[in-house]
Amino acid sequence: MNIADGVQVVSFAVLALMMLGAALGVVLLNNIVYSAFLLGLVFISISGLYILLNAGFVAAAQVLIYVGAVNVLILFGIMLVNKRQPFAPVRSAWLSKVATAVVCLGIFALLGTMVLATPWQLSTEAIAGDGALVKIGLHFFSDFLLPFELASVLLLMALIGAIVLARREYLPDELEEETVLTLPERPRELTSSGSRSNP
Amino acid sequence: MNPGIDLQGSFIQILTDFGLSAGAAKVLWLPLPMLLMLISATVGVLVTTWLERKISAAAQQRIGPEFAGPLGTLIPVADGLKLLVKEDIIPAKADPWLFTLGPTLVVVPVFLSYLIVPFGQNLLVTDLSIGIFLWIALSSIAPIGLLMSGYASNNKYALLGGLRAAAQSISYELPLALSVLAVVMMSNSLSTVDIVNQQAGYGILGWNVWRQPLGFLIFWIAALAECERLPFDLPEAEEELVAGYQTEYAGMKFALFYLGSYVNLVLSALLFAVLYLGGWSFPIPVEAIAAWLNISETTPWLQVVTGTLGIVMTVFKAYLLVFLAILLRWTVPRVRIDQLLDLGWKFLLPVSLVNLLLTAALKLAFPVAFGG
Amino acid sequence: MLKFLKQVSDYTKEAVQAAKYIGQGLSVTFDHMQRRPITVQYPYEKLIPSERFRGRIHFEFDKCIACEVCVRVCPINLPVVDWEFNKETKKKKLNHYSIDFGVCIFCGNCVEYCPTNCLSMTEEYELSTYDRHELNYDNVALGRLPYKVTQDPMVTPLRELGYLPQGVLEPHDLPAGSRRAGKLPEEILEEMEASKS
Repeated sequence: MNIADGVQVVSFAVLALMMLGAALGVVLLNNIVYSAFLLGLVFISISGLYILLNAGFVAAAQVLIYVGAVNVLILFGIMLVNKRQPFAPVRSAWLSKVATAVVCLGIFALLGTMVLATPWQLSTEAIAGDGALVKIGLHFFSDFLLPFELASVLLLMALIGAIVLARREYLPDELEEETVLTLPERPRELTSSGSRSNP
Repeated sequence: MNPGIDLQGSFIQILTDFGLSAGAAKVLWLPLPMLLMLISATVGVLVTTWLERKISAAAQQRIGPEFAGPLGTLIPVADGLKLLVKEDIIPAKADPWLFTLGPTLVVVPVFLSYLIVPFGQNLLVTDLSIGIFLWIALSSIAPIGLLMSGYASNNKYALLGGLRAAAQSISYELPLALSVLAVVMMSNSLSTVDIVNQQAGYGILGWNVWRQPLGFLIFWIAALAECERLPFDLPEAEEELVAGYQTEYAGMKFALFYLGSYVNLVLSALLFAVLYLGGWSFPIPVEAIAAWLNISETTPWLQVVTGTLGIVMTVFKAYLLVFLAILLRWTVPRVRIDQLLDLGWKFLLPVSLVNLLLTAALKLAFPVAFGG
Repeated sequence: MLKFLKQVSDYTKEAVQAAKYIGQGLSVTFDHMQRRPITVQYPYEKLIPSERFRGRIHFEFDKCIACEVCVRVCPINLPVVDWEFNKETKKKKLNHYSIDFGVCIFCGNCVEYCPTNCLSMTEEYELSTYDRHELNYDNVALGRLPYKVTQDPMVTPLRELGYLPQGVLEPHDLPAGSRRAGKLPEEILEEMEASKS
């Protein structure tokens, strides 16, 4: 094994451990802000795995979109509605826990059998490497054109929705019942400041 | 194009001549450019802070730093030393982990972006095929660090500053990316070396400034906003937010923020030089001068001169832009947050989209001039 | 359609105008860069305060008749006049007098109205202390005369803008005997006397 292979194996192990640990942290930690930050770590380690697979562009896109946009927006959402309240103890919580465990184990078993059953074939084509960018572009504008455009339509819908939500004055049913917020007026003291008469 | 000097090749050649294997020689070579880039980035920051003080002083008819070293040149070193030995305070109710991690997350991506800054044909750490895209992707990590430090400080000003910084960073990333995209479209490559080479050949007339008059304005405004320089320094607006997300920081962690912001400024200036001002190329093409003087392009001493000139030109252009940023700092008053977002979303974004479309149209119409 | 086009053109005009104004501002800043610094290296060099400078107030205890005019004309009634009536001489006897310079705004009303001229302005402005209560000067502290800048061997006195020759902005290295712009008050007086007689 030469140096390059050794570095690859070690960094794969490190990235995989980092990703699994961070993902577990996202699910298990009580503090939701920690979970959000660990989600960013998961995304970054995934992009590291992409780099190991010689897909530099996909890795950079992963960082840009998931870390730079999605994760920041999640954090924004959490921080703007930052309600720190402890979880209320639920009676018969064990029932829901057992149910969750069953569902999770089911999904895990399903995925495990799928992973084992799929005949993983290594593609015999040469690794695209730096040429991947051109190939991705070609696919986007030929055989994957429809999903690509559909995704952009989805984004457009989200954009319009956000604008409608932000401009509340166009929602007709929101207009009525406008409560005027006032502060209770403080009783004013009628004595003048100091007993000295005005000059 | 001449290949220029291949430092890596000659270094490995020398080591293999001493009897080392080629692999070991490469391993020895690998950390050298990175270390050099790290040091030069830090030195660049020291120079920039000194320049900032001196130019600010000149604009205000003061003298500026004078007693620390000749012309006060040792003042950045004194600053750094002071911050280094200051007490490292973590506020009592702050989150110590996130509080420590925040500044690191802000600084590391900026330094990583130096991977793609070229100072010559072969004078860069790596010539990545995704080049400039890496910078845009990495600069999108910084808001997370800002949010993290704002949240972890347990201080309302810090949190507000962090949120403002993240909002500003996200809004100005789009015009920045779109104006870069127009340049990339003209040069058919994301690699910084290819972008510079595409501008070479006609000297100063071939630079992208002339072909992207809108794009370079948008890029510089957006870059200033990304660096939180003065017309857009709301996240650390002293009058409103004390110091924004830096409020609770002291000592080395504060120094990291400080370092990060200045490294980011120098980096933006360098990339501006690469994207719009022809990178390392001289206003008159060196090849033309060499041909006029009847010197072969492969003459060793000419290559050394060209390489040095390339580094000098890149740094000179970058510092010209830093100077412009400092001049702007003392000219333009700070904008309000609503004006900032207004400018970003309602002015720069549409204008940069128009610029992109215009570039595409011109590229189809005049493929000769706009890199067909 | 036309309205939309007009909107677009107005917007463009505004944007161009804003860019023009920023350019003008930049050129002003750039122009300032070539001007010479007018720095005064403060602890080593000090400007000579003008003769009408309103600095710390000087008080002469013996002249004071405790009439309290200074208190009445003061915008915040600041001077504290502690007196008692002497029945034998049927005069007010001043015990203590103090002004708190942490609160004083140096408007000079008290100096203006003092009937016996026991209050006067000095050229002292270096009033920094470690405790704000130290700024509350009693009659002894008020009676001290300040150190003159021109007599301090540690300090190079520099002339203010008003005392420089015409067209000179730099107080360093003035030629000896250079006069300030315009006539001195006593010269104007002399001229008036001469024209009268």
